Amino acid sequence: MIGYQKGSMDDFSALYAELKGPLIRYLWTFVRNTTTAEDLLQDTFFQIHRARHTYTPPRPVRPWIYAITRHVALMHLRSTKRRKEISPVEDLPEVPVAPEIEGLADRDAVNRLLAEVPRRGQEVLILHHLLGMSFEEVGQILGIASGTAKVRAHRALKALRNTIQEEGIAP
Amino acid sequence: MSTDQLPEALRETIAKDIEPVRPLHPVWQRSLVVAVVATLVMASILFGFKMQLRGDMGQLPMWLSWGCAILELVAGILIVGLALRESVPGGAVPGRTVQTAILTGVALQILVGIMTWAHSAGVPMGADWFAKGIGCMSHDIAMILPTFAVTMWLVFRALPLRAPVAGLLGGTGAALTGDAITHLLCPMSDLRHVLVWHTGTVFGFMALGWLAGALWARHHWR
Repeated sequence: MIGYQKGSMDDFSALYAELKGPLIRYLWTFVRNTTTAEDLLQDTFFQIHRARHTYTPPRPVRPWIYAITRHVALMHLRSTKRRKEISPVEDLPEVPVAPEIEGLADRDAVNRLLAEVPRRGQEVLILHHLLGMSFEEVGQILGIASGTAKVRAHRALKALRNTIQEEGIAP
Repeated sequence: MSTDQLPEALRETIAKDIEPVRPLHPVWQRSLVVAVVATLVMASILFGFKMQLRGDMGQLPMWLSWGCAILELVAGILIVGLALRESVPGGAVPGRTVQTAILTGVALQILVGIMTWAHSAGVPMGADWFAKGIGCMSHDIAMILPTFAVTMWLVFRALPLRAPVAGLLGGTGAALTGDAITHLLCPMSDLRHVLVWHTGTVFGFMALGWLAGALWARHHWR
């Protein structure tokens, strides 16, 4: 990120390559459509570029990037709501599932059920359990206290576990 | 490093505008700028323009006169610091902290007014209460505006993702730094005067900050 701020195109490319997958996965949780998520990924990188001076080293870069990503997704949702556009809903794209979640059921079932978790909890689960962020980082992205993020993750995980038990799909 | 993964449109746009940028200074340094401006405004009004301090300064204990003025100034700068933190992506201030900061700021202004009234009745409002009120409000606005302008400039120079919240915090903080000076100058302690004209000005700047944020967001994210 520091190299990119200094004007290196190679560093921008490296940043893009590193973040493309996780950001599409995160954007998908908002739009539930891979094509739209890919379009929003471009918008996200345009916004990251416009705002690159607002990243202050040596602060962690991930909360900064994911906060911008989240905002781009929310602005998209707001505008599509205004235009009353409905995107076709797809299954969650293949995601590397964290061991504590994968242990609950097989990967396909977890992917399907994750999509059914309410977005507030799903967002925290994705950021913390799947993208490996600390609760402090999650709080910085969502504008909530780290304790609140922890509570939301706990509740979402509990809901996920209950659904798995109810459907009898535990491994 | 290969650029194969980059979509062509994105690569072209970025390549056209890849000039080096200077990162924003940390929040504490940007808060320091606001602190310097607010202190300069206070010093220039009290010592530069040699405006007369309230007539009953002698009746007020030091902690209530200068003490509370400094307390308001410091609280205002801290709230501006929260606005500057909020203005950077990934630095979102939790909702409860925003509420606490704003309520504390407003409560402090009102509490200082009540305590001052309890110690000294000050100059009676009289028949020309309206003209005096307008005069006080104009002074307040003039004293708050420089700090407010610098705060908003610093907030919108970053990328506030919740711009109205950042504006609201900035407006509250700047208004409080201005009220710190008013507290030393306005000779009237009557609560009706304080609540209508001085607290009213604080609320006005809070609304102005929120509005500035909303307009900025509408323009920026269009």
